[in-house]
Amino acid sequence: MASQSNSMSIAAPEVAATAANSAPTQNTRPSRPPRPNYRHIHRFPLPLSVHPLPPLIPHNPISIVSVLLSYLTYLISPPRHEVHSAYFDPDTSSVHVTDPKAIRALWEMGFFGKGSLSRSEPSWLEREKKRRGLLGGVTSEEVTRQRRTERRELKLERARMEKLAIEQRLKAEAAARETGDASAGDTSAEQPLLSSADGVTNDPLPTEKFSLRKAREAKMLESQRSVVQAEEKSTPNSTGQMSPSGGKTVRFSPVVQAKEFAPDSTVLHVTESVGDEHGAEDEPLLNNEEHLQLSNEEAFFLVYGLGALQVYDDKLNAPLSVPSLLSLFCQHSRFPPCHPSSDLDLDDPFMISYVVYHHFRSLGWVVRSGVKFGVDYLLYNRGPVFSHAEFAVVVIPSFEHPYWSATEERRAHCASKQARSWWWLHCVNRVQAQVKKSLVVCYVDVPQPTSGDIQALSGDIGTLLARYKVREMLIRRWVPNRTRD
Amino acid sequence: MADTDEAAIHLPSQDSAAHNDIDLSDETQDFRMLNHLSFLSDSSATLPKRGEKDFEPNPTLYQADILDASRQAMHNALAHPRLHNTKNIVVGIYAPDGPAPPRSSAPSKSLDTIAEGDAESRPAQTATDTEEPQFKKPAGMGVHLDSCVYVSNPKGQFFKNMGRADRWNRVWLLPEEALYLLERGSLDIRWPTSATGCDDEGDSEDSGIPMSLQAAYACFIGRGGLSVDRYSVYTGLKRLGYTLIRAPGWYGEADETTEDSQNKRQGPGLAGIYGRFMNWLYSSNTTAVGPVAGLGIHRSYNDIYHKLSIIPWHDPTAPQDQPPQTEPPFRVVLHVYKPSTPFRKSAPPTPDFRIAVVNARTQTTMPTMAQLGTLLDSTPLDPPKGEKMQRQLYMRLRNGYRNVVLAVVDQGVVSYLRIADAAFGKEKIYERGAPTGNKKGGGPRPKFTKPKGR
Repeated sequence: MASQSNSMSIAAPEVAATAANSAPTQNTRPSRPPRPNYRHIHRFPLPLSVHPLPPLIPHNPISIVSVLLSYLTYLISPPRHEVHSAYFDPDTSSVHVTDPKAIRALWEMGFFGKGSLSRSEPSWLEREKKRRGLLGGVTSEEVTRQRRTERRELKLERARMEKLAIEQRLKAEAAARETGDASAGDTSAEQPLLSSADGVTNDPLPTEKFSLRKAREAKMLESQRSVVQAEEKSTPNSTGQMSPSGGKTVRFSPVVQAKEFAPDSTVLHVTESVGDEHGAEDEPLLNNEEHLQLSNEEAFFLVYGLGALQVYDDKLNAPLSVPSLLSLFCQHSRFPPCHPSSDLDLDDPFMISYVVYHHFRSLGWVVRSGVKFGVDYLLYNRGPVFSHAEFAVVVIPSFEHPYWSATEERRAHCASKQARSWWWLHCVNRVQAQVKKSLVVCYVDVPQPTSGDIQALSGDIGTLLARYKVREMLIRRWVPNRTRD
Repeated sequence: MADTDEAAIHLPSQDSAAHNDIDLSDETQDFRMLNHLSFLSDSSATLPKRGEKDFEPNPTLYQADILDASRQAMHNALAHPRLHNTKNIVVGIYAPDGPAPPRSSAPSKSLDTIAEGDAESRPAQTATDTEEPQFKKPAGMGVHLDSCVYVSNPKGQFFKNMGRADRWNRVWLLPEEALYLLERGSLDIRWPTSATGCDDEGDSEDSGIPMSLQAAYACFIGRGGLSVDRYSVYTGLKRLGYTLIRAPGWYGEADETTEDSQNKRQGPGLAGIYGRFMNWLYSSNTTAVGPVAGLGIHRSYNDIYHKLSIIPWHDPTAPQDQPPQTEPPFRVVLHVYKPSTPFRKSAPPTPDFRIAVVNARTQTTMPTMAQLGTLLDSTPLDPPKGEKMQRQLYMRLRNGYRNVVLAVVDQGVVSYLRIADAAFGKEKIYERGAPTGNKKGGGPRPKFTKPKGR
């Protein structure tokens, strides 16, 4: 409740009146809304159901009976194996899931895919409902927006305070210069230089930086003061004219205020008008415009690795077989997609990235795209709602087998595929350090093509994948200054 | 979620050890702190903290004053007279032909030097000694063959971890050691009489003519495998207090034989057989067209993950079939010891770091897996040890099983990269049970938990 009133106060800055309202809620940081029980929601790591056997205790005959009984139950009525369906969209070269139940299942069990209109978890419908006032609470996107607005506001405030301090100093200096000119000139000119010369400790006030925290405090102070002022104004017989603001009153400049609140207020107006005009009959029209978007690696893992998904071609109305899905994804691993008839290379980008995806998934990591961090994958332990990703993976192919260095043409081809400049490495490394992730360079050793590859492709994907080999290397900047101890 | 990741960027660092990448050298410095530095009073003075930095200029006189004062402080510090005490002066003599016995004792000692020298002489050395036949094989003096400066009066702390003494109590310095000391102002190198030509009758080989820094660079760089890149790494780390010695890879030889290449390959053992049996038991027969996890009823998620693991991965602990063949730039050339590591010249301990020096202008791309892999395989196994590592998964992974430091020298700018062979495949995190809480116990590493509602 408190949070909602807070958000409202942010959204509707009807200057003085609401400022008075908002001030107390601002000061006592409202407790955030209770988080959903992620441990319960995401208790299944994969979109497969497991049916554990009851424990078998050899010397306890009842346990044997119960085990047999459970076997029997599964034999008579085998549990239904849930297979979700999705379709491949050649235009975006990704796999779409539109069934809401499948979307929930794939997201909640293993964090597959991303909402097409959301940051990661498909939450567009919820957000939209909230926007139209049909649902209480706040979505994570809204929280982020609010936090960013606050932060921007505070930064502007800080900049303003710094500017103010500089102006004050300039004024003081000008005053000092005038008085200095009037009196003995040389001593006063010497004075500031001397005081600042060894003045690291001498003059604490001006060197003090304006932190965001201080800006926040100042803002609180300001809002309290405005409350007081508003109260004073509201009481008619008070001495309203001489509001005793000292020389250092901090005020919002109207420019800043307008800049800050313009977008929010327009949104508010729009929603209000919508709500007024359409009211309740708009509700049934609200259908989910969002779908779950699976990357090709995710889709192939769900199909081939888990058997929890079937992918339909957008033209054909039959699910694609696993080998044809693989060749489809390989065709779409480049842009523009290569011709359907051209046979598959072992160093196809999709093969290489899938090998890495499968490898980390099989170890229990939740693998998600790392495009926001300039890497190929992010590795989450258990899932993004539980902890931040610790590892950021870049995938580099490797061609160790002598086949790849047999001819000049192949050597050039391999060199172009695996070449990464030092500058690139340092860039990626620095970005990962900045976002507190460890950079993992995952090399994938590409096997040599054999004569049976075409058959292997259509037939045995398992043996094909087993011929690749991955090797992970952690690369981190070594700062000699810090390892001296 | 991605959101919280972004939020974490703005937060102050909580764990300073792991990711502290604030590079102090990047800051514009406020040198006024130098005013508080006393040069002469006592040696125990600690370095003062640097001042705060301003980001942009503003027209106040105050800022101009600070800048001025800072500049003045820097000038003062630089203008401070630095004196050499005549008592502490260390004079070295350049020996262009490498280590040789002193001239006075040469005739009498030449015989046994030959006898000793044969045992461990190197062919590379013989070519340089054609000038003076009686000094043909001076290798038996117990000093490095690439040494080219000797100091007769070794004094001071530098000789604790530099140079090698011969039997005449002269300390022989390697080119990089001599150059480092000369640059530091701790050593005065003289030309030998043989080089200057003004041969006076005395026993001394000291011509009395000091060697300039330029001449030292000309003489020493390129000598005995010392390149500018290697030297800049050497001198940079040396100035930070590290102790560095040449690794066997400096000369293109194989690095120290790794332990695991020596231990015999034994049979799989009972545990291995059991493991294979379990693998066979778990291995699914549906990998051809999937689903790899199998079609039947799944008993537990661990079984599913077991079946899914079909991608082979490199195990750094596995014994190697043959010793790795490293190729030039990717080869350990320097062994580095922390300043705190007790170091004895005669018996260097296991190095704390192994460094390979790479020139970013000749080797323009980052190494391939083969290059990096053999480099790592040439280092001994250094598995994560200790109670903390046992407990913390992320630390274990970050430590890796082998590690090496790459010094990438780009036109004199050195950037160091620590490469670790992390075996993700050895850490099956699906076996680690359910997460303990929301955003808190997820990782063992104490992350700053960002409240979501802010």
